[in-house]
Amino acid sequence: MKKNFKIIFLVLAAILFFVTFYYALKINNKNNPKVMLNKVLPTIELVSLEDKTTKIFLPMENKDKYFLLNIWSSWCVPCRDEHQILSKLKDKIKIYGINYKDDPSNAVSFLNELGNPFYFIGTDRNGSISIEIGAYGIPETYLVNSQGIIIFKHVGPINNRVYSEINKIIK
Amino acid sequence: MRSVSFVTLFFLFVFPQICLSLIEREVDMYKNIRCLVCQGQSLNDSNSDFAKDLKQVIKKKILEKKTNKEIYEYLTDRYGDWILFNPPLKKSTILLWAIPGIFFLLGAILLIKKTQLTTLNRDN
Repeated sequence: MKKNFKIIFLVLAAILFFVTFYYALKINNKNNPKVMLNKVLPTIELVSLEDKTTKIFLPMENKDKYFLLNIWSSWCVPCRDEHQILSKLKDKIKIYGINYKDDPSNAVSFLNELGNPFYFIGTDRNGSISIEIGAYGIPETYLVNSQGIIIFKHVGPINNRVYSEINKIIK
Repeated sequence: MRSVSFVTLFFLFVFPQICLSLIEREVDMYKNIRCLVCQGQSLNDSNSDFAKDLKQVIKKKILEKKTNKEIYEYLTDRYGDWILFNPPLKKSTILLWAIPGIFFLLGAILLIKKTQLTTLNRDN
């Protein structure tokens, strides 16, 4: 009897261990930068880079089927790389820019040099707006639909592959 | 952010005890939050831009009288459970939290049984 109890106990313990570790291994417990995907974009107030008296609220004030939200800065080298692609996208979709921890005069010079693909640019002087939308750093791009849901997110500079993915969605 | 620092300094001067407990609470929270752009560092250990921004946001939320639970929820909504060093108690983590207790209980039962058997053998 005692021996049977020991065997049952050992078998149960082994099963418990197996099940626990099996499920623990299956769970993706790594950092997932796309947590905000398929969630509603939190309401953000953007104060214009050019005119501090102009403010907009996203996603409420957008009336289009889709819009892009791009976090950038003049001191960010990868932002320079993706700027060309943003310029290609500007005729297809409204792009709202969040100018992250930047000197406004440097931001304006950057746009004068490379062109302005943005429909509206808001400033994020202390990084709090970027944190509000779950960003890690810059550049970062969000594709949001008319219900305010983030349907695509890209961390890092937009490349040709990302460009075609965005194009496919907004077609 | 300057205004947040000014308010903190003002309160530190007027109500030092309350402020010290607020600072302790803040630091305790930073120790449980992972700096997502650093290698295995907590927010408390990190000086990265991301960590600095997040600290300011948390400080502001504490001053707005948000509870720790509300602040952790705010962060996990945006960055997932990975941002916390202590995983929250959920369906998917229940075994993780329960297993040490289950094994402790089983160990205690085995120990009691073994002690009883030894006592019985000695008496016989």
